[in-house]
Amino acid sequence: MPPLTFGLWLANVLLDTGGQLAFKAAASDPAAGDGLARWLHMARRPWLWLGIGCYVLEFLAWIAFLSLLPLSRAILLGSINIVAVMVAGRLLFGEKLTRLRVAGIALVTLGVAIVGAGG
Amino acid sequence: MKRGGFYLTGFLLLMAFDTVGAISFKFAGMHALPVEANAAWLLRLFEKPWVYGAVAGYIGAFFTWMGLLRHAPIGPAFAASHLEVVSVTLLSVWLFHEPLTLPHALGAVAIVAGIVCLGLDESRTAAAAPA
Repeated sequence: MPPLTFGLWLANVLLDTGGQLAFKAAASDPAAGDGLARWLHMARRPWLWLGIGCYVLEFLAWIAFLSLLPLSRAILLGSINIVAVMVAGRLLFGEKLTRLRVAGIALVTLGVAIVGAGG
Repeated sequence: MKRGGFYLTGFLLLMAFDTVGAISFKFAGMHALPVEANAAWLLRLFEKPWVYGAVAGYIGAFFTWMGLLRHAPIGPAFAASHLEVVSVTLLSVWLFHEPLTLPHALGAVAIVAGIVCLGLDESRTAAAAPA
């Protein structure tokens, strides 16, 4: 994979994981309430906006990445986001990593490695 | 069972938005080549309609996702939302005539198997956890 393509892939993983974690922090706030009040509560705190900021940058990185690779290949390489978010969910939110979940993470990582190495 | 229906509808809606988004993204990128870190690239990107299809997919996926995340743990929900790799792979072979090589197909099978493991894990965890 050329350095530009690899750099865009890495940027996409980091921005996507950052965005997802920020959205989880925004959405799971127990003090948020319901309906419109919940959205107003989230809008007054930085998490939602941090998530949106990550997504805007990811948007550009992803389009650039997609225009350099076939879509079917790019979408599979993008699956590494699953692994990144799950590991980060474990580290930051203490979410459980069961055996089945570890097997899933290993299979996704293996698949991404095969597609990445496969030219 | 009511909760299962809520998740299924949400994930299918999310998959549809993600698929429309990915296809639009690819068209947007193709029509803005070559990739450059400058305003000319952004201008080429935003003067074509495709990028707006991608934005619409993003916005739809965003609101569906925020609704789902309120109850679903982030890891497994995120995994289930990634099953769009199947629809997008099949559509890109058809729409963009992309070849399906053996390593590509093997990698795809491993990724989908991994996602299925994560989905199974989610239903087990959901069954064990108190509502």
